[in-house]
Amino acid sequence: MSGFKRAPVAGGRAPRKDPLASLKMASMMDTKPVLPAEIIARIVDYLAVPDLIRFAQVSQRMREMVYDDTRWVQRLRRMGCWNEVEARKRAESLRGVAHNVTTPTAKRKSRNPSIAVNGSDRPPPSPKLLDTLQPTVNGTPQTGQMTPFKNVSSVSDGFDPAPVMSSSTSKPVAAVGEHPNLSVLQHVRSVRGHARQEYGKVFRVLAPYYNDAVSSEHPMRCMVFTSHSSPEDQAYILTQLQRFAKSDLSPGAYARSERLTEVVSIFDTAALLEFRKGYEEGDIDGKMREFAHVLHTLNGGQSNVELYVHHNHLVLSKDKLGNPGDCIDYASGHGQVSLERTQHFFDRLQTAYSAEHAVIERVFPSPSVVVPKLLEHIGQVVLSPYLTSLFDEAHSRGMEVYLMTVSGTFAQTQNLLSELPKPECGYEEYKIVTSKVASNVFEPHLDLYLAEELAFFKHTSEAEVEQWDRALSEQAASTETFLMSNINRQADKKDFMSSFKKVVMMPVNILPSFPALSSSKSTAKALVNGENTNTQKHDSRSSTPAPGTNPVSSNPLRSVTPLPVEAPTTELAAKVALMTSKLENIRSLFSIEVALSLVHRAKASLERAAQFRPLDGAPGQAAKQQCSAIYVTLLQILGTRHVKAGFDKAVNHLGDYNPRQAGADTSSEPGQGVAPLTTFLELVNVGDLIQQMLDVFFESELIRLGIANRDDFLDPAVKEKKKFEQMLDERVAAGLGKGIDVLMDEVEYMCATTQQPSDYNPDPNNANLDIGPTPTAKKVIELVGTHTSMLHGSTDKTLLDVFSSEVGLRLFTTLTKHLKRQRISTTGALPLLSDLSAYASYISTLRNNDLNSYFTALREVGQLYLIEGGEAEEMAGIIADAERYRGVFTVEEVLEFAERRRDWLLVKGRVEGAMYGRGCVVM
Amino acid sequence: MIDDLGEAATSEPIPIQNINEAVLRKVIEWCTYHKGDPPATNDDDNDVRKKTTDIDEWDQKFMQVDQEMLFEIILAANYLDIKALLDVGCKTVANMIKGKSPEEIRKTFNIQNDFTPEEEDQIRRENEWAEDR
Repeated sequence: MSGFKRAPVAGGRAPRKDPLASLKMASMMDTKPVLPAEIIARIVDYLAVPDLIRFAQVSQRMREMVYDDTRWVQRLRRMGCWNEVEARKRAESLRGVAHNVTTPTAKRKSRNPSIAVNGSDRPPPSPKLLDTLQPTVNGTPQTGQMTPFKNVSSVSDGFDPAPVMSSSTSKPVAAVGEHPNLSVLQHVRSVRGHARQEYGKVFRVLAPYYNDAVSSEHPMRCMVFTSHSSPEDQAYILTQLQRFAKSDLSPGAYARSERLTEVVSIFDTAALLEFRKGYEEGDIDGKMREFAHVLHTLNGGQSNVELYVHHNHLVLSKDKLGNPGDCIDYASGHGQVSLERTQHFFDRLQTAYSAEHAVIERVFPSPSVVVPKLLEHIGQVVLSPYLTSLFDEAHSRGMEVYLMTVSGTFAQTQNLLSELPKPECGYEEYKIVTSKVASNVFEPHLDLYLAEELAFFKHTSEAEVEQWDRALSEQAASTETFLMSNINRQADKKDFMSSFKKVVMMPVNILPSFPALSSSKSTAKALVNGENTNTQKHDSRSSTPAPGTNPVSSNPLRSVTPLPVEAPTTELAAKVALMTSKLENIRSLFSIEVALSLVHRAKASLERAAQFRPLDGAPGQAAKQQCSAIYVTLLQILGTRHVKAGFDKAVNHLGDYNPRQAGADTSSEPGQGVAPLTTFLELVNVGDLIQQMLDVFFESELIRLGIANRDDFLDPAVKEKKKFEQMLDERVAAGLGKGIDVLMDEVEYMCATTQQPSDYNPDPNNANLDIGPTPTAKKVIELVGTHTSMLHGSTDKTLLDVFSSEVGLRLFTTLTKHLKRQRISTTGALPLLSDLSAYASYISTLRNNDLNSYFTALREVGQLYLIEGGEAEEMAGIIADAERYRGVFTVEEVLEFAERRRDWLLVKGRVEGAMYGRGCVVM
Repeated sequence: MIDDLGEAATSEPIPIQNINEAVLRKVIEWCTYHKGDPPATNDDDNDVRKKTTDIDEWDQKFMQVDQEMLFEIILAANYLDIKALLDVGCKTVANMIKGKSPEEIRKTFNIQNDFTPEEEDQIRRENEWAEDR
């Protein structure tokens, strides 16, 4: 009996046996087979409404089946007029009250068809109540899921608001107010138990139109069009008919709905034609507006929006806006693309668009739908081809022009999009649309652009470094002058960095400010015509490292920097000049100017590329990656090509340095340091400066623009930066190792050449009572002092500590060695002591405890020489007094020093005797 | 699927009561013709439903039988759970009802009128809106 598993569509609630029995009774008289209730219900589903009602008149049971509320709810739902939530709310508010009154038996009774609830004693509720509820419908609600009727009275308030079912298309109610037929579907209420009545209201209004429309021979002569004259009313009726048709499920419905669709499409075409005519005639407020509303009512107005967008005047007359060829500015040299002229194009586009936008606002009922479409279309049909041909043109004219054009026009596009009139509502969506338009227009060019940008940056940077290298090698033969500067480096660098920061923070003006186009013309030109500035730059660059010229005079040329920013740049240029003059001696190795100009280039490229960052999806991502790639390239070129090479050269210089060879030159210039070491130390300073520059650049650009994250150690930019810093530190450390060697060689050499034998062993007859360090000591201290102080603030603190302690230690060894070569008399002890204390006090400035103890011990040793030759006991005591030397020297070592006494041979026996004798005593 | 049932299932006859031979032949004829049909979609999509309100030509011809036979086919389709055939049958019946007066319907379906004249009148009044104009 699987057939009975199927849930009956309706009428299943009736006890099955009852009707079957009665039917069987009937079949006994007649031999005809009878159909069970659920099959009848199924048949009823396929009946058209008039047949349905006639069917209800057949018998009680049939009536119940037909009146079943779910059947009508389903129809309403098909039309989109049933709001389940609303219905449930009503039912619940009813049930809440009903609960107390309705007993289960009452419910069961009400459902039982055999009980006379549906019989002749109807209508059970008072007619008065019905009138208040629904004056238009004279039917009675059916029993069903509906609560017993008598309870309705207490909650009749719940029905009163009769909220209008919000249909999918939001029609302005006021517009259709004059004819109730036009909005009948909107007034359908979702009340359980009243679905049939509600459907009835709809049917009464729409069925005549529907039947007429599907049966009339000529679509344009059917009732819809004859009884309503205004196209807008006709459109309303047609929309409702389309919805109404959905509730028609009787056989042949498909053909009927086809027919209706045909009518609608004929109407649609006619309306569209009128709309188009209106547009062509410029009848904006008349025909266009009217039919835009008609079509919007009919089917959301897709077709006319499409038509409007595709036959837009703006699009059709796009040639008037400008020709890409016009933007080539022949006046300013070979094939420059003038951003001013593209700006004219954008201005014209904006004006034209504003006009269109005004039309849209006036014509279309929902401008927020039309505007994005128009924008997209304009982007596709107007902007895109224009820019593509412009870019092609620019590309053929040179890389820099291309880059400038792409980034410039992108900024202009952004500008344009932000300045276009905005629709009043849906601002957020509008923004999304504009950014979509921008990305659609620029996406095809972006890959090429970014690749070119990077390549261009790499190429020019490399060229710059190479050029500098070449200039350097030409110059290498010429004499180098070394300036020793006792400037306060830290303050200087701080100063420099602060102005550098200022410049870096300044946005690169990709575009001249638009409102004041004429005033900023010159800058714009200078910027766009990269070649112009470039030639100037070339001049300045090639002249700066040029040999022989006065360094200061060549520097002002630097005032032409790649940045169009005036004030801070000149300030920076001045600072650069200052630094360069101070650091003149290292220009042979690497140049802060080159570094600076590279950074500027990187910044310009980065800013240009970073513009594309806000684009969504892949293009934005690519832009970001490219930005960090530019930074990485900057680091690589600056680091490996420039700084590292410089350092390597400097270290080699240091290695090759031979004080004895150079001595002839340097000794003639008192006060000069060890040339290569000085150079190297200056180099360390500059290296540090460059590193700081890069750091600032990283902070201000990459972090600010959100390209890189400082803490993300996997980020290529961060990794490369780390690598650069590491490289710098390594070079510095390597250089310093060599540097110390060289420095000590120099000290040794100095001690050996300048220390007179008479210094510590003066002629007793010619006793010089001039107390104070000997010139040698002074020189050595000065030499060491200047070199160590140069490092202050330029490199890592720990590195500096290591360096100074190494220097101190080596100085100590050298001095010890030196001391052991001298012969010292008692009178000579005084200068010696003052030398030693001078060393010690110098060393104490290094703030290194270990070194201090070394040098104090050395000073103590100096006391040995003060003792008169006769007092051997005392001498022995001092020699053996290990406490005195704080473990720096052993007794044997002190003895070695004692041997340097001039009278050692005389006192030796006694001293040793005293020492060992005493030693024996002690033992 | 039939293989799963085993030898006994295929070899032993399945008793089908309630359906006489003529009707079963008719049903089998219908099934043979429609065996290539795509499986019926379950969703209540409006368009799909609408299309299925129409009876195709072959089915119309197939259903041109006397009313007794028609009802038998419907009952058989219900019993054998052949939904598509059941639908065709119901639609055919719906077409038969179309335009008939209540009295004619009663005759067709062999239903006794249990309304009083007043009741009948009331229903008509309640549903005036549905009347053809």
